[in-house]
Amino acid sequence: MTTSCTGFDSPLGLSRRETLARFGGGLGGIALAGLLEKSEGAVAPPPYLTSAPKAKRVIYLFQSGGPSQMDLFDYKPRLNAEQGKELPESVRMGQRLTGMSGNQSSLPLVGSPFAFRQHGKSGTWMSELLPHTAAIADEITVIQSMHTDAINHGPGVTFMQTGAQIGGRPSIGSWLSYGLGSPNDNLPGFVVLITKDQKGQPLVSRLWGSGFLPGKHDGVRFRPDKDAVLYLNNPGGLDSRSRRRMLDSLEALHRLQLEKSGDTALETRIAQYEMGFRMQASIPEVTDLSSESDATFALYGEEARTPGTYAANCLMARRLAERGVRFIQLYHQDWDHHGGLPGGLKRKCAETDRASAALVTDLKQRGLLDDTLVIWGGEFGRTNYCQGKFSPTSFGRDHHPKCFSIWMAGGGVKAGHSYGLTDDYGYNILEGGVHVHDFHATLLHLLGVDHEQLTFQYQGRHFRLTDVHGKVVNEILA
Amino acid sequence: MKHVLLLLSLAFPAAAFSADRVEFNRDVRPILSDKCFTCHGPDAKNQKSDFRIDTFQHATADLDGTFGIVPGKVRDSEVHHRIHSHDPAGIMPPPETKKPLTPEEIAVLDRWIAEGAEYEVHWSFVPLPETVEVPAVRSDWVQNEIDAFVFARLAEAGYTPAPETGREKWLRRVRFDLTGLPPTLTELDAFLADTSPEAYERVVDRLLASPAYAERMTAEWLDVARYSDSYGYQVDGDRRVWPWRDWVIRAFWENLPYDQFITWQLAGDLLPDPTRDQILATAFNRLHPQNVEGGSVPEEFRVEYVSDRLHTYGTAFLGLTMECSRCHDHKYDPITAEDYYRLSAYFSNIDEAGLYSFFTPAVPTPTLWLPEEEQAEKLRKLEAEIAATVSALERRRAEAGSDFAAWRQAHPAPLPLPEALAVFSFDEVKDGAYPNAIPKGEAAKTTPNNQVVPGKIGRAVQLTGDDAVTLPLGNFTRDDAFSVSLWMLSPDHKERAVIFSRSKAWTDAASRGYELLLDDGRLCAALVHYEPGNAIRVRATEEFPSGAWKHVTLTYDGSSRAAGVGLYVDGEPIPLEIVRDKLTREITGGGSDTIVIGQRMRDSGFTNGRVDDFRVYDRTLTPAQVSALAAGKREFRADLPHYLATEDAAFRDGRAKWSALRKERSALVRTIDEIMVMEEMASPRQNYLLERGLYSARGKPVSPGVPAFLPPLPEGAPNNRLGLARWTVDEANPLTARVTVNRYWQLLFANGLVATSEDFGSQGRLPTHPDLLDWLARDFVAHGWDLRHLLKQIVLSATYRQSSDISSEAVSLADPENTLLHHFPPARLSAEMLRDNALAISGLLVPTVGGPPVKPYDIAAAFKPSPPDKGENLYRRSVYTYMRQTSPSPLMTSLNASKRDVCQVKTERTDSPLQGLVMLNSPQFVEAARTLATRLVEIHGKDDDALLDEAFRRTTSRLPDEAERAVLGTLLSAELAHYTAHPAAATTLISLGDSPAPPNDEAPRIAAVTTLISTLLNFDECISKR
Repeated sequence: MTTSCTGFDSPLGLSRRETLARFGGGLGGIALAGLLEKSEGAVAPPPYLTSAPKAKRVIYLFQSGGPSQMDLFDYKPRLNAEQGKELPESVRMGQRLTGMSGNQSSLPLVGSPFAFRQHGKSGTWMSELLPHTAAIADEITVIQSMHTDAINHGPGVTFMQTGAQIGGRPSIGSWLSYGLGSPNDNLPGFVVLITKDQKGQPLVSRLWGSGFLPGKHDGVRFRPDKDAVLYLNNPGGLDSRSRRRMLDSLEALHRLQLEKSGDTALETRIAQYEMGFRMQASIPEVTDLSSESDATFALYGEEARTPGTYAANCLMARRLAERGVRFIQLYHQDWDHHGGLPGGLKRKCAETDRASAALVTDLKQRGLLDDTLVIWGGEFGRTNYCQGKFSPTSFGRDHHPKCFSIWMAGGGVKAGHSYGLTDDYGYNILEGGVHVHDFHATLLHLLGVDHEQLTFQYQGRHFRLTDVHGKVVNEILA
Repeated sequence: MKHVLLLLSLAFPAAAFSADRVEFNRDVRPILSDKCFTCHGPDAKNQKSDFRIDTFQHATADLDGTFGIVPGKVRDSEVHHRIHSHDPAGIMPPPETKKPLTPEEIAVLDRWIAEGAEYEVHWSFVPLPETVEVPAVRSDWVQNEIDAFVFARLAEAGYTPAPETGREKWLRRVRFDLTGLPPTLTELDAFLADTSPEAYERVVDRLLASPAYAERMTAEWLDVARYSDSYGYQVDGDRRVWPWRDWVIRAFWENLPYDQFITWQLAGDLLPDPTRDQILATAFNRLHPQNVEGGSVPEEFRVEYVSDRLHTYGTAFLGLTMECSRCHDHKYDPITAEDYYRLSAYFSNIDEAGLYSFFTPAVPTPTLWLPEEEQAEKLRKLEAEIAATVSALERRRAEAGSDFAAWRQAHPAPLPLPEALAVFSFDEVKDGAYPNAIPKGEAAKTTPNNQVVPGKIGRAVQLTGDDAVTLPLGNFTRDDAFSVSLWMLSPDHKERAVIFSRSKAWTDAASRGYELLLDDGRLCAALVHYEPGNAIRVRATEEFPSGAWKHVTLTYDGSSRAAGVGLYVDGEPIPLEIVRDKLTREITGGGSDTIVIGQRMRDSGFTNGRVDDFRVYDRTLTPAQVSALAAGKREFRADLPHYLATEDAAFRDGRAKWSALRKERSALVRTIDEIMVMEEMASPRQNYLLERGLYSARGKPVSPGVPAFLPPLPEGAPNNRLGLARWTVDEANPLTARVTVNRYWQLLFANGLVATSEDFGSQGRLPTHPDLLDWLARDFVAHGWDLRHLLKQIVLSATYRQSSDISSEAVSLADPENTLLHHFPPARLSAEMLRDNALAISGLLVPTVGGPPVKPYDIAAAFKPSPPDKGENLYRRSVYTYMRQTSPSPLMTSLNASKRDVCQVKTERTDSPLQGLVMLNSPQFVEAARTLATRLVEIHGKDDDALLDEAFRRTTSRLPDEAERAVLGTLLSAELAHYTAHPAAATTLISLGDSPAPPNDEAPRIAAVTTLISTLLNFDECISKR
């Protein structure tokens, strides 16, 4: 915490290795930590840990492409009443449009073709496309007043995941890995699960990248494959007894080397090889869903038996949460309904609704919901006007940054709550706007982290997930 | 990676508690910069307070009777009272900044004020001294000047250098540092046997002359240059920029002086008579990510590209972080937002698009062609022939007047107008289409939304602007002559409207094809390979009248020149301005191969415009023909162009020859590769200060210029990129040489003398050995920016030859980060070295230099997988591994390779469990292990001791000691027993990878040795530089 710390120093003023040793969990027992304790006395908690954490971990169900808020959560009967009329300029107020509909000669309003009704004691509005989410209405907070600065997918998704539209910044999970470490010695602290074989806007690996943070804070993608993590398994013809002997020999060599060189980095090296060995057992264990009960599959949907489906990933997210993984990032693509929205949206909801709700229910049953924050949402909303030619069965909506809906559950967020208000056209926010930076500030707050103090110095600047913005949305806190 | 506490213990006590005077740069600036400048610093515009503490003048100013600092008078200084205050409303820094001053810092500030509050220019902005005194040091240890500086600091702190490392270790160290590869055993033996005094130098000279050295330096430069084989962003298509990488290899191999290395990359295109390599070098500025996401705003991304060029320039050469000044004046350094936009203006003046083309593989302009010698020769010949043919035609045209007059006298009768290829009257819709008046001609498709309305002749189509009228023809090449005529009525002034085009899309296809637009209300015709840099575009100088039917004709002669495009209104040619006149490649391709009226993908259509009597011709209509057509006649009176084209045999033959030559040229050009480079636009682009960095918030206009706190451009330097390049490497520039030698110091010692090699500004770290840094920089410049000279003197120094073992626990506790260099800093090898090492020692490495990127095994396991290559490409050096920005090689990423999305001058190395998995399990490493195992078994048979020794020596460059031998011997016998009992498993293990498996009869032994090698490939001494 002096003026001179470089990018590789943690906010504690310790080198990253020392921070890892103390707060990173995972590598307990490193001699270096002991050495430092002796020389510096007791360890104080990092200054950014300012509040008691409500959530210990996060499961972020990212719906990539921009789900249509006014067809799912943000009920706007006026659009049905004025269907076909031009979007009033008094509503649009010069908002920039994408190059896809920006040159359209008319922008006709289009109402939702789906029936809305209120659900639960909370009376939360939802459309008929989300029957299962509707059933957990009293567990979640729907934020109807999210807004962003981006109007295209690349910048939009990057903004939601890293707090900046341009690449190169660490993702949320990387910040948490850096700030809070991993509580599990045998699994990565930041795991990424992607629904397989999805079309739609491409995802890019920097979305779960560590940016300028050390590379070990990268999200680790689990693939629906025998090698859930790259080269997890021993090569053919080499069994785990040989591997054990190799690692024992390697450790013996490293201990000799440590004696000669006095370089304590070797302790870390030894520990990393051991953790790799443990992961060879723990990752197959956590990714193997065969021990789950039939009741569980009934809850998540039978497709959860097929590796790589959204439902299977939701179930795996619960298993990872149970084992303490800090940040579990799911991606489900193809919500980008520029055309064919009625059919496309129905399909997307059918793929995700049951399992999303099941995850919340399941976590609750197991007593994990209280300290697990579940987030569902995309990178922006969709326009209240029709993109391209209107047809009741195949119209589309363009990107809309000025309002969209997401929901959160558990982890210190109110249950059965709706927050924020948009105008009758579903175009502008009237009350309770939650900017992407506010969303991030709130997320960190729920984990006990002050978003203004979790910083990393890089190129002379103290970078934050929230840049120089962000306010905690106290109104949604339980 | 320095330890903060170290500086506290070494630097601050020196100032705060000793008799030394406080030094501003060493002791005070770091405090002010980090704790005060955000609100009281250079960014005056965005601060609430009038008080500034970044300069003496500001800090001591009279602010309504209050003085922040009164030099020498602590109690009269407001700053003193504020930093000691206990009042939450008055204390500085305010509690909400969460950056309180420590008691030590408060003491330093008080002492500084008491001693007169002297300011100093930030150390890195002070000009490089003419000479730097080398400390007089009496020690046998010293090999060269570097050591004198290092020794002096060590002695000051009461330390001694570490003992010299063994010859084997030094050779291994220098081999990796200079070539990225391990020494061979032959090399090792030769060096050990060479006891002459020149032995070390001989090794260094040999290594520096090798292509492997050039590859090693290139690998590092690719990180700085954010090199990748794809465009990045979301779609991340492939781009072909490896010829630039090969130029970098050539440059290092030929030891191009570093100032020229910089100059070529920044502005090689602006050097007098630039060579191909000089222009090629400027691709450096185009290696930033580029976008193609549909619907994106091109200007937003063009601005992003220009910024990236500046950020890369700032980090790579000046060690300055420019990003901060993009939105506001820099909070820490004296770089204003205006400085930022003036500097970025140097990089803005190229004819580029903000989005590359989704529908075509066109290379974004500007480009350099890279023909093979044979292609270049053929092209030169063709161009010469074309020029000769054109001038013959010109001559004939000039001479033909009398022949034409005679001919016309003999043929006075009007002639019928030429036949059109298609004619659409829009008088009726039949089956959702407009019939074609040409017999058997295909109809033009439409949607019911386009209306049939009263027209100029009979009826016409009225367009919605969103609905296309799609014709069945029109896929002309740039070598074809063609004409299009129509009646049109524009209902109002059109800012932009597509009348018709043969083009899939606007930005998404870079307008590939041809088009007639209303642009700012004026007719505008273009033939486009890639918008904007490879196109012909002409525009009417006067506005097109609204509300009236007008006859419009576009003619083109197939010449690929703007002069070959004609625009007529009501039969008369109209005055045109030439907007672009550089069409050198095809205009076909990209989809949508026919003419479309009234609409184009993501473009503004001809909303409510009317079109009638649309005709398409496969010839250049002559003025007389156009005039007749506009007048509604069926006949025309012959004019000279008509005579020449049809009646004059010499001209007709010449034209046929010209046409054939053009087609031949086009066929050749299609086979010639090109690459993105820099090329100044003839008329400079106007640049603006962008408020808050937003592309759409243009503030005041700015012109190119360098920041005022640095020296001005050198005398006589032009105010363009070349001037900037000259300024960058000029004697007077205080930064470039320091930044450069520091980066190469970092390359060898893991940390630079300035630990923040990316930031030489006020938030960066101070140099650990400021005089050594200056001496090295001065010496580097004095030796003509000779990189080999720089590296050679460092690796031959005693400092570099120190052992990496930590000899004294006391010393390492006092200076745990080794800033004083009391031993050689060990470091894990880079990702490139780890992989190349395994390939090299196994004998699999294919040492071919240069060429297209290759796809090793792990590309198949990348986030966006593609099939791996076969054969030799699996075993090339890692500098050639295919780098896709959004899906880099997972093997390299696991081993901490740079992400290459932004300029990175320092890559971090952290151990992670995933690295072990890659190094123990991936086919690349396992295949290397089993290949070496096979060789060792071949050589040593059943002599385990000899085999073990050689295995160890190949992986670590030394022999094992007894303890190590025992560990490995135990492993080997256990594995031998295991695989003898499991021969099938042995066969499986030793068959892994693409290379042929060894004979089966030795399988158990080879498999056992494979596990041994695999273990050694993960051993610290194999994967670290010690």
